[in-house]
Amino acid sequence: MSRKVVSVWTSIPFWRKSAAWVTGFAAILLIWLTFDSMSQISMGTDTDLRNGITKRVPAPTVINYKITYEMDIKRGHEVPKIGEKEKFFGRDDWSEEEASSLLRLGKLASQAKNCMNCHTLLGNGAYYAPDLTKAWLDPAWENYILMTDSKTKEEAMSKFLQNPSMYPSHERMMPNLGITQKEAMGLVAFLKHMSSIDTNGFPRNFGRMSLDGKTGAIHGK
Amino acid sequence: MIDPFVDVVPSFFATLNQGPLTLTLFLHTIIVLPMFWIYKAEKKRLEEES
Repeated sequence: MSRKVVSVWTSIPFWRKSAAWVTGFAAILLIWLTFDSMSQISMGTDTDLRNGITKRVPAPTVINYKITYEMDIKRGHEVPKIGEKEKFFGRDDWSEEEASSLLRLGKLASQAKNCMNCHTLLGNGAYYAPDLTKAWLDPAWENYILMTDSKTKEEAMSKFLQNPSMYPSHERMMPNLGITQKEAMGLVAFLKHMSSIDTNGFPRNFGRMSLDGKTGAIHGK
Repeated sequence: MIDPFVDVVPSFFATLNQGPLTLTLFLHTIIVLPMFWIYKAEKKRLEEES
């Protein structure tokens, strides 16, 4: 018995089954990817930090440590490296609760003052002013230590934030936003923590923009 | 072809994502292959019905 020639391409059940398969598979894949991302972005703990366990987002107590930005040949971009203990506003023993509340204050201040209206934080925001994702690691702050008559980078950043229009920074000068001393401290902690987040080399070429390690990496001057 | 794992947090998708194309090729392959089966099953059904 010879079989009749049939057209699968004009068969509605064929397209219905194909569409169901692709949609169903994509839905399952997206749910899986959501949970996969959640494990990638979940914050580490203070114990992880003390034991040298690397997390994409380290614990808030990372402010007690020195953070550097080093080229990873294998991954093809710079990655934040958490080093030895380093004093942050005169202390290197910020507890998990203290560090968390400081970061929270900084995050709320960054939202209240609408930093994203000009700056970019972790890919969100504007490019009118420098990208703040890795701002803590910017060698340009060294100049601000002298300019603001400070002893440390965090002190210089805090003074700058409280009175930005007093210090020449960028051609597009940052306005005074009425940031208090406490808020400035929170913002600096927030920026320090953000710089320790492994962002797969984002923003691109940040580390390579400063050729002498002295001038700014964000400003690219 | 498969390089040692270098990402921060181990993940199945990161292992597959060896370069810009590997994950795309893998996902397209596992999506398209069952469609051949759907096509063949449908063809068989239509031939038997006619």
